[in-house]
Order: sequence, then C-alpha cells, then structure tokens
Amino acid sequence: MIGLSSSSARTDLAQRLTEISGLGNVSTDRQMTKTYEVDGLVPTAVVFATTTEQVSRVVRAGNESGASIIPWGSGSKQTVGPCLSAADIVLCLKPINQIIELNTSNFSVEIGAGLSNAALQKQMGKHNLFFPFDPLYLETSTIGGELATNASGPWRAAYGTARDIVLGITAVTPTGDVIHTGGRTMKNVAGIDLCKLLIGSWGTLGIITETVLRLFPLPKVSRSLCLTFAGIEDAFRLVHRLLSSPLTPGAVELIDGIAGRNSAPISDSPLAEDEVQLLIDISGNREEVEWHLKEISALAEENQVRHPTTLEDEAATCAWNTYRGAHQAILSAAPSTFQGKASVPLIRQTDMFKAIKEIGQKYQVAAGIRGHCYNGILYPYVVAGDDHAVNIINDLKKAAADLGGFFIVESAPFPVRKSAGALPQRSDHTLMKRLKTEFDPNNILNPGKLMGDAD
Amino acid sequence: MVTESFIKELAKILGRENVLSARKDLLAYSYDSTPERGIPEVIVFPHNTAQVSAVMKAIHREKIPVVPRGAGTNLSGGTVPTCGGVVLELSRMNRILEIDTANRRAIVEPGLVNLDLQNALAPLGFVFPPDPASQKSSTLGGNVGENAGGPHCLKYGVTSKYVCGIEVVLADGEIVELGGNVEDIPGYDLRALLIGAEGILGIATKLVLNIVPLPKTSWILLAVFETLDGASQAVSDIISSGIVPGALELMDKTSCWVIEQSISAGYPTDAEGVLLIELEGLGDSLNRQAKDISEICRKNKMRELRLAKTTAEKTILWQGRRGFFGAVARLCPQYVVMDGTVPRNKMVPTLRQIGKIAEQYKVTIANVAHAGDGNLHPLILFDVNNEQEKKAAHEAGKVILKTCLDMGGTLTGEHGIGLEKLGSMKTMFHPADLAAMHHVKSIFDPDSILNPGKLLPAEEDNSHHERKEIPV
Repeated sequence: MIGLSSSSARTDLAQRLTEISGLGNVSTDRQMTKTYEVDGLVPTAVVFATTTEQVSRVVRAGNESGASIIPWGSGSKQTVGPCLSAADIVLCLKPINQIIELNTSNFSVEIGAGLSNAALQKQMGKHNLFFPFDPLYLETSTIGGELATNASGPWRAAYGTARDIVLGITAVTPTGDVIHTGGRTMKNVAGIDLCKLLIGSWGTLGIITETVLRLFPLPKVSRSLCLTFAGIEDAFRLVHRLLSSPLTPGAVELIDGIAGRNSAPISDSPLAEDEVQLLIDISGNREEVEWHLKEISALAEENQVRHPTTLEDEAATCAWNTYRGAHQAILSAAPSTFQGKASVPLIRQTDMFKAIKEIGQKYQVAAGIRGHCYNGILYPYVVAGDDHAVNIINDLKKAAADLGGFFIVESAPFPVRKSAGALPQRSDHTLMKRLKTEFDPNNILNPGKLMGDAD
Repeated sequence: MVTESFIKELAKILGRENVLSARKDLLAYSYDSTPERGIPEVIVFPHNTAQVSAVMKAIHREKIPVVPRGAGTNLSGGTVPTCGGVVLELSRMNRILEIDTANRRAIVEPGLVNLDLQNALAPLGFVFPPDPASQKSSTLGGNVGENAGGPHCLKYGVTSKYVCGIEVVLADGEIVELGGNVEDIPGYDLRALLIGAEGILGIATKLVLNIVPLPKTSWILLAVFETLDGASQAVSDIISSGIVPGALELMDKTSCWVIEQSISAGYPTDAEGVLLIELEGLGDSLNRQAKDISEICRKNKMRELRLAKTTAEKTILWQGRRGFFGAVARLCPQYVVMDGTVPRNKMVPTLRQIGKIAEQYKVTIANVAHAGDGNLHPLILFDVNNEQEKKAAHEAGKVILKTCLDMGGTLTGEHGIGLEKLGSMKTMFHPADLAAMHHVKSIFDPDSILNPGKLLPAEEDNSHHERKEIPV
C-alpha cells in the first residue's frame, strides 16, 4: 500500500507538518489542495518550502509516517509521463529561487532550484551570459523541475543536455538527508556521479533544491534560418549533409504543417500541411556566422528549399517563440491530443517521420511532428480519441523499436497516460528498480512516476 | 583466496594461454603509473563478453577481489590490485566493431587504444573528442572508467558527453546494456554512474561512442610569457572574453625544460610561463580569434607569439605537451602528480600558492595545466632513495589538494580518486554524500568484489577485503 489510507493518519501528518518551523503555508483546506489535483489524486496537504533544510524536514516527516511526497516546481510536467499512484503531500519548491552565487569569471551560477528558467536567463543576460538550456515551458518552468525531468530544447544540438552543463546539485534524499554532488569546477571526477543520476530521475530518488550551472558568454552574432521544403526527404537530406560537415549550428529544429497549424506562421509564408520547415540557429563571431549562412544556404538550394528566410534580432526571437508555442497550441486545440517522443538513430529520422504519418493515416487521425534533428528525436502529436490511442501508441512503439529506437508517451490525457505503460523493459530494468528501492525503501517520493508502480 | 583449482577453472574458461600466475607475471601487473604497488594472484585475458561473464560468475561464487585493467596508465592507483585476487585485463578486447559516420557513432571494445580509434576516424573526417595525454597507450575502457579528460575537453566536454551506451558485465556475471545507440533512453542514467566509477560498479565490455566531424581548420599559438602569473592571467582573460579555444594548455619553466630534454618540441626553456592555444574553425574566424588572443596576451607580459599552421608544426608542438609525463619519468621515475581542479577565477591564486608550497617543503614542482578548465597538474618530483624528499613530496601533495578544496575546487578533474586520494574523500564529501554513493555501490556489487578499496572510503562495517601489504 502506497501513501496514507486512514483519516487519522492524515490528521497526524498535517499536525507534524505545521510543527516544522519556518514552513510557510501548510494548507490542508480542500479547496486549496484541490488545485493541486493530479492524476485524480487530491493531496492531503500542500506546503511551501523556502530552504533545503525545510525540504529535508518535510521529507523526513513524510518518510516516517509513510506519506507520499510530490515535489512541485511550476507544475508544467505534472501531467507528463507515467501516472502517480499516491499523493499525500505536494511540496512546492518555487520559493527556493535565490541566485546564491554568480561567478562571472568562472562562468558558473549557483541557484535555488525553484528559480524559473526565464528569470535566470534574464538575470544572466545582464552580465552578457546565458545558460544554454531552453526546454519547452521556459517562461514558467523551474530549473529544478527541468533538471528532474531531463527536459531539453533546441540548444542541445550545440551544448548537449542538462547532464553536460550542470556542475553540481544539492538534493534531499527520500530519507530526508541533504546530499551534495558535483561542485563548481568545469571538470570533476571525485566519487560516483550522482549529479547525472538525479537529472532525469523525476524526483523519485531525491528532490533537487539547489544547483550550480555552467554559463556561457552570449554569442556576439546570432542569425536564424527558416527553410521550407516540399517534403521530409529534402529536409533530411540537408540535415544529413550538415551532420557530416564541420559546420556547427546552434540548433536544427523541424516542424511540419500539421504541428504548426494551430499557431502563427514562423516565417512570412504559411506552411502547407504536407510541407516541413527547418529552423536553424547560427551563433558565434561575425566571420563564423557569415560562413555558416553561406554554406547552409548553398546546401539548402541544392535540396530544393522553398522561401529561405534569414532572421535576426526580434524577428528571430519571434520565430523561435512561435516554434516553441506550437506545442501548447496543438495540445490546447484538441484536448484528446497526445504527444510522445520517438528517439531513433540519426539516419532513421526520415523513416520514423514517415512511419508516424502512415500510422496517422491507418487510424485516420492527424499526426503532426516536431523534432530535434541533430539528436534523432521526433515528437509526434496525435489528435486521437481515447478509443484508438492505445493501438496508435503500440504501433508507434513498434515502429520506433524496428528502427532501433524507442517511443514513449509524454503529454497526454490521464486515461491515455494510465494505459500507456511506463518504461520499456530493457536488460537494466531490474537494476533501476533496485536502485529506487535502495534509495527510497518506503516508496514515498513521486510513487509511480518514471518507473511505474512498484511490482 | 585464489587456489590452484580456481586457476585451473579460469584456464578452462579462457584457455591456458590466457591465464598468468607466474611470479614474474604477477609483478608485471602489480603497478600502474603511480608509485602504488600490490601483487595480484592471477591475471586473466578474456577475448569476448561471454568470457568476461563466465569469469565473473566464477569470481563472484568465490567472492574474490577483481581489478579490471586496460593499459595500466592510471594516475591515481586505481588499477593496482591492493587486495590481491584477479586482474582482469581487457587489452585483448580491442576491436573496432563499427564506425557509422552518418549516425555519428563508433562501437568499440574497451581494450581499444584511444589513438587507434582516432587514427581510424581521422581519414573519415571524424574525431572522438576526449584526448587524454596518455592516448597513445590508454584504452577507451579505461578512459570511460576514469571519465578521462584531455586538452580538447575545454571546447568539447569530457568523456561522459561522448559515451552513449555501455554493455556491462556486473559483479555476478550478468550482462546488461546501459544507455544505448540513441539519445534520451528513458529511466535512470545508469550509464553515467558507470562512467568515472573506476571499475567499482561493473566491467564495460562494449562502448557506443559519439563521434563528431573534425573542424575545418586548426591553428596552434604558442604564447611565451615573462611570468607565470602573466600566463595564467591571460588564460582567465581569454575565457572571460568569450573565446572558446579548442585547447588552452599552460606549462611552466620547469615543465618546458623537462620536455625539451627528451622531445625537442621547440619550447623556450627560459620563460616562466608558456601557453599552447589551439584555435578551431575556418580561416577568417581563426584570424580574428588569433588577433584577439594576441592582444590579451600582450597585456599580460607576453614576450613572444608563435603561430603553427602546418600539420608538421602542429604535431611537434602537441608532442611536447602530450609527452610531458613520459619526459618527467625519464628524468625522475618517481613523482606525485596532482589533478586538483579549481574554479577558473581561482587559477592564478592557486598557482601562486603552489609556488609557495614548493618553497616551504623544499620540493621541485613542475606545473602543467588544462588551464582553460582550471584543471591543474602540479608534478612533485623526488628522489625515490631519499626518504626525507619522498615524505616532503607527499606532504606537499596533501597541502596542494587542501588548497584546491579551499579554493572551492575538487580533488580530481580527470585522474580519479583511486587509492591516492581516498583519504581525502571524507574532507570533500559529507557522510550523507558518501552514504548515497554506497547505496549505488551496493546495488551493483553487494559483495564488494569489484576493485575493492578504491574510490569510496570503506563504510565502518564493510572492509572485509583487507589491503595486503606485500613488499615488492
């Protein structure tokens, strides 16, 4: 049994939480807790922590009374991936949002994990620096939440994922201990690398409360290229020419006409449903940027590009915002839409793209696609009713597996996520299960997330 | 305890020719690149994953300590078999299984030497960015075990960024795949746990590596400074200006002199500080970078700037830096090499402090550094037959590490904890941090047979493999 079952246990828990000194806003009022309902579960208490120490005390209290704890940043990923199986305490981390130490000569910043990505970038921008990490919901989402879910965005093409640019993490373990991993140096091999383990663990092994991030100087010059193609073959032929060249674009993103149809056009010319667009970032010093623009434009011409557009300053920012906004636009337009992630070998992206379209046709549903072309990652958006969703998901899983990759469901209505299953079963599955049990013997941290229900 | 019958069992699995237990062989595998020593009881040479698995099953049944080993170039004592037992030598598993440039992947066995992979990739226009100075002899399995760095990690990042998947044989012989060929494999990042775990969690038997296209052009600048302060300040200024060179290496006067004694790379032997700066990109951009860098260096008392554009010129300059440890060993076979890494703005004060420590302990210290990353390699030289010097060198080493920690740095940037820095782990980490690492260890290797006594200081109740002090 996971979580608290009796009402007396819930009352005791609420009492214990109010006794934790300094903990603001312990709310057990149902009207309040109801706003934190997730996966059909209404928490007993919602608490706001302002320090790592408070997080530690809440987790200790939860662990001792067997109450499940749901760490909560801005909530943007709460309805992504496998469902929760219990939710007694929602632990809000947004108040832990200080910039603790900015070191502009080391190019690092230590922050509270509740700081939002946008707020961080704004502060860093004042020093001509940035953190090259741009997941989808960056206006609202907290850095802690983005790290916990191993979120990523277009810049991963040039800078890698969170695991490559996070230098250190302070976290609270499921038993309430505060641990520090990594540090503030560019290189560090002291001890087992728990930093990368915590990133992407979805709060099931520990709650990230503070982190040290690696910063980079803002590029001197930035341009964006928006390239439209009649079909996927032309677009990916260009991508593969880039991938085997010494060119180093900052980001190479793909969107098709269906994924883009609920938002404004990215460039002046609207995208037809069967067209695809590449949005490419080029940043560096003036000579590098000019060279890249020239070379990439020439390659695009060779591959029958339509309406190539070079964007800069506000026009470029606007194009990227529109591109990012397409995700929420398509999900909001039809509530039954689900979005998943297919990861395949780079040269299999065209095949995966086609397979997604074929599966859409088979079930007569619209299927839009976005993707990180430099990473072999495609995000299908399938506008499906609940009836077909399971079959479509199974077809997508099979298609990705046949190409040497995998498919998982991310944003989706509750019933779809519930039936979509958790992790693909691989040879390391037992190790992962044992790791969760070793770190969290009472299964109190985010039970059900990532690994699915304990079995 | 390795018995005669156990050795016979190993010979049955691997063939007699792949099992060594003669005294001379045991001695040959009793050390790495550090002064640490420990005699194994048997050395085995598996040729494939199935053999590694079969050997591990037998070892696991008998609960015998086992040290996985590549080329033995380890700089922290991590491959020294201090508890006796088995040395599992992976150098026979050295094949390139697949190079797939279109997918930017190379699949290799762990015993492949780093440079052998680079030599296979270069004609295809690709490179595996991690390039430890030992790349001529160190194996990729060892590079992964240590999460090795190298000069080019400044621009490209360290080994962990370039390892996508690892096939691993666990302590009980089970074969599992961590990560894989594609990105973002769902679940916990067990791949990252193995990288840099110094062989205490499992034995890598196959590696899926990320490879990237070679840059279009590269130049090398050799900047010569009147003072070490000037050279290290120039590094800080270059980084702060936003230029990210391919590599940014610092050498002091002693290091240059040592290198010139055996390599003749053309380094000046009378300058206090020298920077080796590699620029990457295309012609026009390189001109701009070179101009900006030379201005910065001039402000920091640079007395000379040389530019190398041809392959021959560049190769000789790199040979000097890469051959440094070997050159030192020729002059002074015993040395203590430090790997402390500090925040980049602390490099100047740290180097100054190291200078003072050298004076105070009356030892000779040669400094090289992956300066752009704040990764310092002070080498403390001593005469092995002079007990007093030996003691002073080790004391100075401890003080240097303490200095790095006080500066907000770490014990090791790329060489690992191994045996050498084990005693300092409790200074750097809190008990809860170490307990979390022990949780991980207990999942992978509950009996603690994999490279026991390395990386993690023993928990109070978990030291059943006693270190064996064997005179060599």
